[in-house]
Amino acid sequence: MSKGDRSTVISERRQVETEIPRNWFIAKLDDLVVNWARRNSLWPMPFGTACCAIEMMAAAASKYDQARFGMERMGYTPRQADVLIVAGRVSYKMAPVMRRIWDQMPQPKWCISMGACASTGGVFDTYTLMQGIDTVVPVDVYVPGCPPRPEGLLYGLLMIQEKIKGESVKDRRPREEDPERVGKPHLSPEEIELIAQPFGNSTFQNRVSGLESSSPILRPGDRKE
Amino acid sequence: MKPGPNGAAERPDLRQLHAKFGDAVRSLEQDAAGEPVVFVAPERNVEILAYLRDSQGYDLLKDVTGLDLGGDRPLQVVYQLWSTRDSNSLRVKAELPPDHLKLGSAFDIWRASNWLEREVYDMFGVVFEGHPDHRRILMPENYEEGYPLRKDFPLRGRFSRAEQTRLAMSQEMEDIYSLDELVVRGRSGAPGEDRGDGIETQNMILNIGPQHPATHGVLRLVCELDGETIVKCTPHIGYLHTGFEKLCEYRTWNQVIPLTDRMDYLAPILYNIGYALGVEELLGIEVTPRCKVIRVICSELNRILSHLIWVGTTAIDIGAFTPFLYTFQERERIYNLHEAYVGARMTTSASRVGGMMADVPPGWLDGVRDFVETFPNTLDETERLLTQNSIWIGRTQGVGTIDGKGAIDVGLCGPNLRASGVAYDVRKDKPYLDYETYDFDVPIGEYGDVYDRYLVRMEEMRQSVRILEQALARVPDGPINVDDPRVILPPKSEVMNSIDGMISHFKLVMEGLKVPAGEVWSSIESSKGELGFYLVADGGPKPVRCRFRGPSFMNISALPYLVEGELIADLIAVNASVDIVLGEIDR
Repeated sequence: MSKGDRSTVISERRQVETEIPRNWFIAKLDDLVVNWARRNSLWPMPFGTACCAIEMMAAAASKYDQARFGMERMGYTPRQADVLIVAGRVSYKMAPVMRRIWDQMPQPKWCISMGACASTGGVFDTYTLMQGIDTVVPVDVYVPGCPPRPEGLLYGLLMIQEKIKGESVKDRRPREEDPERVGKPHLSPEEIELIAQPFGNSTFQNRVSGLESSSPILRPGDRKE
Repeated sequence: MKPGPNGAAERPDLRQLHAKFGDAVRSLEQDAAGEPVVFVAPERNVEILAYLRDSQGYDLLKDVTGLDLGGDRPLQVVYQLWSTRDSNSLRVKAELPPDHLKLGSAFDIWRASNWLEREVYDMFGVVFEGHPDHRRILMPENYEEGYPLRKDFPLRGRFSRAEQTRLAMSQEMEDIYSLDELVVRGRSGAPGEDRGDGIETQNMILNIGPQHPATHGVLRLVCELDGETIVKCTPHIGYLHTGFEKLCEYRTWNQVIPLTDRMDYLAPILYNIGYALGVEELLGIEVTPRCKVIRVICSELNRILSHLIWVGTTAIDIGAFTPFLYTFQERERIYNLHEAYVGARMTTSASRVGGMMADVPPGWLDGVRDFVETFPNTLDETERLLTQNSIWIGRTQGVGTIDGKGAIDVGLCGPNLRASGVAYDVRKDKPYLDYETYDFDVPIGEYGDVYDRYLVRMEEMRQSVRILEQALARVPDGPINVDDPRVILPPKSEVMNSIDGMISHFKLVMEGLKVPAGEVWSSIESSKGELGFYLVADGGPKPVRCRFRGPSFMNISALPYLVEGELIADLIAVNASVDIVLGEIDR
């Protein structure tokens, strides 16, 4: 990054910072009211595909009851929703559908990636599965687990609420969208390659086992005879 | 394949087959479970299958799949048949040379083969001549990387991840939703055609899904409507295709078990147990009496678990929200039992080849007993909400009707088949886990409509409770795992104190258990229908082929026949009533 670039970035930030004190009281009040309203009436858009979707339903059902935290209304249309909950495996065939749903949601919006498969591809490092939905849409909260328990999802939603608390109405940059990026992956090809490297069990890319067999397995008593 | 004395050649149906077709029947063999396997000449395949159905009574097509053994060896297409008349099974195989992957389609014999053959084309590249709808089914239409289940296809695909993402995202959404693929036909003829009454009409296309709350997953239905009447419904699947069958070939036999419960996450232990039973059949081992009873208890709990979510979600789809809350309350209780046993709520991975992951914890059986005693009350309450409810009756009776013969033809299975009056239940017709010693009834319906499917499932839950009561009364003492060092890890005390125990532990963990070369097609009655496992071993630590014949796949492929001529509002009811789980359809 050249020196010139850095200075423009800093000056942009300065502008925002200097604007705030001028209307400090109004801004603070705005933040308080707007953020309070936003975080207590989050309408989730359940994008459930696999196992995690069942736990998401359990979180909405009587025992866990996510309506207690303001997620009363499951918005089955993306145009009337605030939080996209991607619960389950997302295949390449499904990827453009998910991106379109994300594009259809109005700002302000947040995204939860629920479960190992949505976050990283999980145990399925195969030819058809996207290795993490964050290659296609920006993710705010990752909920680990395979599948996460309903408490886990509720905690993820509470984290979104925490995140909203720290937002400022003045600062519109997180809410800005580039029309050019609509329908495009979120990450660059290089970044996708980097985060999709095989690791753990997925490094086994052939059918040979760890050891080749030498002799049949003996029962401890067998050898003495 | 077992050489030597061959019982298959003695069977009268196969003798007649051989007499009629002569050289076209190339060889008769037996698999690891003693089931006959017939190799036929590919060019006369259709003829032989038609003869088997018409003259030998093999009326139920259970499965069509492929088998690639790698190298230059011929690719096999496998047909698994069942005769409801004689309770016989038969496997027919056609060997195709790698440079000539063409076979006649069996669509004219069984309509059920429609999707199965499309899947073989999608995964192996076998072209079925005369197939009415010859397209890819699981992978996208424009998939360029090849045929995934071929042995020369890499697990992660041929292209890099970035390229795969780019290709996926560069699809024009408008192309995906283009209507060119649909032949617009129907009662009013071609679009814009005069119907005869002077009014020009045009059929309408309605797309539902792949992300829609009433499709029970990522299913996409494209319907052609004449007014509100469905002229044609085309389900599109594959939005959740995960590559299970490919992945299984890269995992050792026991490592496959955690994958199985991610396929049918509504009844995970049923999948665990079904798979373990298949491998045990290959190995020729029988589990201990205690293990059998524990497996029956787990199976029936999971049948209830799956039927409960079915009642809840189907009621939501038809407009009743309350049963959902009732049934989820009971589901939580079963989840608690899961947690007490295996530590996970849903992805249980409870079974192992040769037994279970552990014996049940102390007091667990009392928990099940408690559930069995109180659960029927909730079931009664749920039934009071629905069974006599006039809205429920109005939405379900006489909707999506199919008769028994038609249901067999289109490949319906499980409660859907039984609702049409066919009393086929694997637990009765080909018992496993000593199901023949339990006293239970197989409920069957009369009309084959949505209401009958509902009643059959409600009754099945009651029968499951009956089985659970009997199983709880007879849980024997003794070990949970078989005493076989080939498959079961030695106890820790032996590993730490004897060199043989340690070697055996090391080899089992590092190499995985070895399964002798052979193949088997075993099946259990899952909550959704017959769940088949076609397993092929080459003597190594990893499977050559793991084919999962999911009942949901068969049920959803029959959906177009169920909804044709119905109203669009009933599509949701019918689709819900066949009880699908997309993880199993798309695998």
